[in-house]
Amino acid sequence: MSVDNQSLAQRRAPLVPIRSALPWLIASGFLLLLPQVFPSGAGLTIMNQMAITIVFALAYNMLLGQAGMLSFGHAVYMGLGGFFCMHLLNQVEYNDLYLPLPLLPLFGGLFGLFFAFLIGSFSTRRAGTVFAMISLGVGELIAACSIIIVVFFGGEEGVSGDRTMGPEVLGFDFASQLEVYYLTAIWLVVAALGMYLFSRTPMGRIANAVRDNEERAEFLGYSQRYVRWISFCASGFFCGIAGALFAINFEILTEENLNLATSGSILLITFLGGVGFFIGPVIGAVVFTLLQTVLSLYTEIWQLYLGILFVLTVMFFPFGLTGLIAMHFRPWNLGKFGLLVRPYAVMAVPALVFVSSAVAVMEILFHARHASIGDEEMNLFGLTINTHSQVPLLVACVAVVVSFLVIKRLAPGLKEAWDEANHQERGAP
Amino acid sequence: MTAAAIQLHDLQKSFGLARIIQGVDLSIEQGERHAIIGPNGAGKSTLFNLITGKYVPTAGQVFMHGQDVGGLKPYQINRMGLSRSFQITNIFAKMTVFENIRCGLLWSMGYKYSFWHLINRQRAVSERADEILENINMTARRDELAGVLTYAEQRALEIGITIAGGADIIMLDEPTAGMSASETSYMVDLIRKVTKDKTLIIVEHDMGVVFDLADRISVLVYGEIIATDTPQKVRQSAAVQEAYLGSALEEAH
Repeated sequence: MSVDNQSLAQRRAPLVPIRSALPWLIASGFLLLLPQVFPSGAGLTIMNQMAITIVFALAYNMLLGQAGMLSFGHAVYMGLGGFFCMHLLNQVEYNDLYLPLPLLPLFGGLFGLFFAFLIGSFSTRRAGTVFAMISLGVGELIAACSIIIVVFFGGEEGVSGDRTMGPEVLGFDFASQLEVYYLTAIWLVVAALGMYLFSRTPMGRIANAVRDNEERAEFLGYSQRYVRWISFCASGFFCGIAGALFAINFEILTEENLNLATSGSILLITFLGGVGFFIGPVIGAVVFTLLQTVLSLYTEIWQLYLGILFVLTVMFFPFGLTGLIAMHFRPWNLGKFGLLVRPYAVMAVPALVFVSSAVAVMEILFHARHASIGDEEMNLFGLTINTHSQVPLLVACVAVVVSFLVIKRLAPGLKEAWDEANHQERGAP
Repeated sequence: MTAAAIQLHDLQKSFGLARIIQGVDLSIEQGERHAIIGPNGAGKSTLFNLITGKYVPTAGQVFMHGQDVGGLKPYQINRMGLSRSFQITNIFAKMTVFENIRCGLLWSMGYKYSFWHLINRQRAVSERADEILENINMTARRDELAGVLTYAEQRALEIGITIAGGADIIMLDEPTAGMSASETSYMVDLIRKVTKDKTLIIVEHDMGVVFDLADRISVLVYGEIIATDTPQKVRQSAAVQEAYLGSALEEAH
């Protein structure tokens, strides 16, 4: 939660307290080493995509989490930033514009900021549903424009370019994936740090205040409208950076970068990760990108699983995956985490059976319905299964029911253990 | 002579055909503690909302230190030195007590919409916020979430937020509503302490509180002020007795 837990003693901190710098140093080191672990082209592409999504999701959460504004058309600011950057790259290529590639995201940010300033000038007058509806309308409008204004958006083909045509920087021409990875990673850290620090400024705090109680904030001297507008502009700036990184990585932008599906998925990503935490969108983006890229290699219905995951998260863990992790800090701090290990381990067995048998049911049904005629066999968890015989489906169904019953049976015990692990004895520190 | 802190001139407010405030003239001097009383539905809260900019007057004017503030937004009026609390507790429930107070300080300390200061580095803000916490006796609750405080504590916090910005006109809307007798007397002491040397305008139902705190009292009935005078004279006024006070006074005794 966005609670400032700085204690009295801590306020006389050195310039950069080790404790707050440490997570950033670890994350940076981690990003530095990742290519050693996943050196393949595909691995680098996935990581780049992750980084871009993280920047986009964090920028989105500046609105949703920090300022309480639900936007249904936020792809616009990333997309427009990306399109403009694509045109800048083409200027570099054909008209000898001098622009070193590492600076491109800055321009992407400025383009995003410009459009957020423009559109925010009227969309942020009201909060809540009105803002959400305007954002939806504007999102649809720009997405429609992208098909109509072919000169700028390139129609259905989109706009493509070549990132390597600019001047070399320190001997890098950014032709290789690895160089692009490091460029993206550096911008990821810069943008994430920028957004984090923004949340710790008077403006960031007042955005929280307006989110929680706009009327009270207004009577403390702050115009709720300007607070929303400034938050919107800041978010647009970082979305534009994400757009530029997208342009650099994929060298093409299309209508897909602007449309409602993209706007919807960034909402989903942010919510999945947890809107109440700064790190939430990061986790959401990582999980989403992994599902999107890795899971899609194994199954065609990965979006179904993603949808189910999203629905379950919203229903049972409204604070997202980060909230799920954060729930365990209390038992950990109470020194009672051990109480949970056994119930979790016991629950894991039927849970695993339930998930895999449910997956089996869906995969078998999907294969039976959609595989080409004559193709009656599929590979599932390493087993070869004939999807047109009744037996595997029946077995999977029985497994679903049985494991579900076992889970129901075990649930009260788990709940009891959970309550016990969260209980602080009276008098204990 | 300095201008009155608040001066209302033939102030009117209608919602559709319903005339809630029907021509109020009132002058409140600097440093005065002024109570507005009246039966339910008399328009006390509407009058408050007109003065603080939440509502735009249908007709008439509001002057603050001689300046016409009609039609200004709440944040603009607040920046001119007027701060208010609400009838229904209005705090930032998801923030800590300390952060609540800090939010009340930021504009007046000149931070505006700054995103180039790190808030935890601003020693002056933190120190001032801690002073205010000390003042409202809530230092012990500093790092609690405001939402988990008791009702009386939340009301005290609300007063803290209201005075934090250093406004010289403080308007409190039923600050002791729903409180027990001991909580009420604690609150009255607190209000007296934190509004020392300031102009205080208070709407209150509890006659004990009103007669205890106020220098002058205005009686609002059906959107009109039928009397403005010292507590003593208001108590004795036949018109006031008839319209309203009689029953309320009986209750108080």
